[in-house]
Amino acid sequence: MKKFLLYILGVFLLTVLIAVLLDGLYTYSFIQSKNRGKIETVFNSTAKKYDVVILGSSRANNHFVSQMFEDKGLKTFNYGMSGGHLFEASLMLKLMIERKYEIKNIILEADLNLSNDQESEGVATKFLPYIHCSKVIKDHFSTEENFNELYYIPFYRYVKFDSKIGFREIYKIAVNEKTNALDNLGYYPLEKHKNGNMKNNIVNLNPLPRNKYYEEIKNICKKNNINFIAVMTPMCENVVGMNYFDKVKKAYPEIHNYENTVIENKYFSSCGHMTDEGAKRFTAKILSDFFSL
Amino acid sequence: MFFNSLAFAIFLPIVFFLYWFVFNKTKSTQNALLILASYYFYSCWDWRFLFLLVFSTFLDYFTGIQIEKSNSEKGRKFWFWLSISVNLGFLGIFKYYNFFASSFAEMFTSFGFKVSPFLLNVILPVGISFYTFHGLSYVIDIYYKRIKAEYNFIDYSLFVSYFPLLVAGPIERATHLLPELKEKREFNLEKAKEGVYQIVWGLVKKVVIADTCAVYANAIFDHYPSMNSFSLIMGAIYFAFQIYGDFSGYSDIALGVSKLFGLDLLRNFNYPYFSRDIAEFWRRWHISLSSWFRDYLYIPLGGSKGGLWIKIRNTFIIFIVSGFWHGANWTYIVWGFINAVYFLPLLLSNSNRNNMDSIILKWNLDSVKVLFSILTTFLLTCIAWVFFRARTITDAILYLKRIFTNGEFSPQYLDNERYNYELLLMISLFVLVEWNNKTKVEPISGKKSWLKMALAIMAIIAFGTYSDYKEFIYFQF
Repeated sequence: MKKFLLYILGVFLLTVLIAVLLDGLYTYSFIQSKNRGKIETVFNSTAKKYDVVILGSSRANNHFVSQMFEDKGLKTFNYGMSGGHLFEASLMLKLMIERKYEIKNIILEADLNLSNDQESEGVATKFLPYIHCSKVIKDHFSTEENFNELYYIPFYRYVKFDSKIGFREIYKIAVNEKTNALDNLGYYPLEKHKNGNMKNNIVNLNPLPRNKYYEEIKNICKKNNINFIAVMTPMCENVVGMNYFDKVKKAYPEIHNYENTVIENKYFSSCGHMTDEGAKRFTAKILSDFFSL
Repeated sequence: MFFNSLAFAIFLPIVFFLYWFVFNKTKSTQNALLILASYYFYSCWDWRFLFLLVFSTFLDYFTGIQIEKSNSEKGRKFWFWLSISVNLGFLGIFKYYNFFASSFAEMFTSFGFKVSPFLLNVILPVGISFYTFHGLSYVIDIYYKRIKAEYNFIDYSLFVSYFPLLVAGPIERATHLLPELKEKREFNLEKAKEGVYQIVWGLVKKVVIADTCAVYANAIFDHYPSMNSFSLIMGAIYFAFQIYGDFSGYSDIALGVSKLFGLDLLRNFNYPYFSRDIAEFWRRWHISLSSWFRDYLYIPLGGSKGGLWIKIRNTFIIFIVSGFWHGANWTYIVWGFINAVYFLPLLLSNSNRNNMDSIILKWNLDSVKVLFSILTTFLLTCIAWVFFRARTITDAILYLKRIFTNGEFSPQYLDNERYNYELLLMISLFVLVEWNNKTKVEPISGKKSWLKMALAIMAIIAFGTYSDYKEFIYFQF
């Protein structure tokens, strides 16, 4: 029995050793990653200068045409992330500051995402490979329920989120497979969808009175002398519960309401996401209101 | 509590410690602990169904003794049929009632009579098909005087509810397991190490092969109308490996866990995809169920003795009942029927026991023939699996039809953002490892076992699928 217990101990130690080695290997790979996504790009970058940085969810990613800013002479990148919440937008900005980015203006899409201050697992996961390499990331996740497992158990984060940061992603980094996340200066244009969902019900949605991560972003901007522009972006005509945007305005008077800048369904790919044409109309309005020289 | 869960990783060492260090005085204390552990294990799913398990145990224990004690044939028959009817009655109510009720209603509706069937709102107790079959084989063996009734209730209870085999088999026989339970187990280092190898290899099969294949198979089967021929073929292959990895992985873990307690369970899989014909496949796939049906259904019906029509009838009965055992759905019945159709020519030509020897390949024409027959058998199996996996028979037929009518054999990007061909390399590697170790129970033991263990652990950690978690398929049966 003693021999068997020693054998089991050996198997356990072997497992830990393999987990530690794989953790190191995977993390090293992610540190080399440059053209896979916005998070990797920011983490692995050094100081950059921007006139405008756009943050938010897919409603930022698909709605702010970066090139139109550039055409006006404003160095811009759209860091909006599909599926992202303000948790990730805030962390993204913190990472940029940690990397000494110089940013003049932040445009934050702040509307539907004000209704929660949870992480968006699919997006937040992409920060996890760097949790041991960045104090900002570690601190940001430290209040999360599963922080101890993610931080202290070697390789646990890669196992738990294997579909996002597991072997397949490592393979794609290794063969240098590009994604389209960084094309068009981060803006992702949408086409008109024949079967796009043009109905939306947001009756049960309520903005949090003080969204922790929205406040964080606001404070970071203030502290770093960044001009903070928070906007609500358009939704299609058939939304039930449109008074949500009034509730946002009431709770956060500084957020500019652009919800009804574009309303016709023909400019929407789905109810919450404009087509490229709609995005251009919306961006033109933003440019004329905030950046008319 | 699943074998591949954190809860089980905590449960197993605790039971192991108590078994060998606290309750190790006699076989009765060892058995009593294993019963408690088994009941706890079972109640983790739904404690209410524990009563059903205990009742079933009492019933078969009591009727077994009564059959043996009865002086008259009438009395023996009474207790025998009481046990059979109550056991099958439970199975019928929980597993098959709704199927029969809705099928009859559909039949009447097709004749123009509108019928609203009364359906039961019950869930299927996990493992009911397995522990019911344990009990049935025990009672049948007593009735036919093949074994003596077990008078020790603890030993009998453990035979029925032993946790490694309780929810998904293998289906044990009283003739095999009960004698082991009657002896005090002494710790055996080599057996325990074999158990660890088997558990680790079972985990490789489950989390690396089965769960990863499931991600692709589901994406293809769930959207088959938009898939091209190549994707549909890959979908069938992925499902074949999903169900093999899932079920044989479970069986390997069950056998391995049992070895840690000094108990040997019946082998359930013997590299079935290396079979050279369907008869051999059924001698290698879910062996404990196939042999159960052979011994308790096929042979009592006359087996392959008797006239041509008796042979044909018995073949169809055993395969269709086997399909129906898997679930209350016409797809399983058709799956059983197809296997009967595959098997029949072998039986009628007396070639169903042709491939009893082990497979040895050399650089000659005979080996090419062997490889061809293995591939053909696998292909036939995959076609049958389409019916097993599809939601309806119509879906299965349309799936197969589309393979031939679509005609596109190009890589296709699936809904799960993966390409249809991505797993080919992994499956090929898995087949190669199994092929090279087909004379052993698992590939880790033997020379350089530490290296092989390290590779297996690495595969589980790095290549396993965890975020898209799948239950063991056979739990539903």
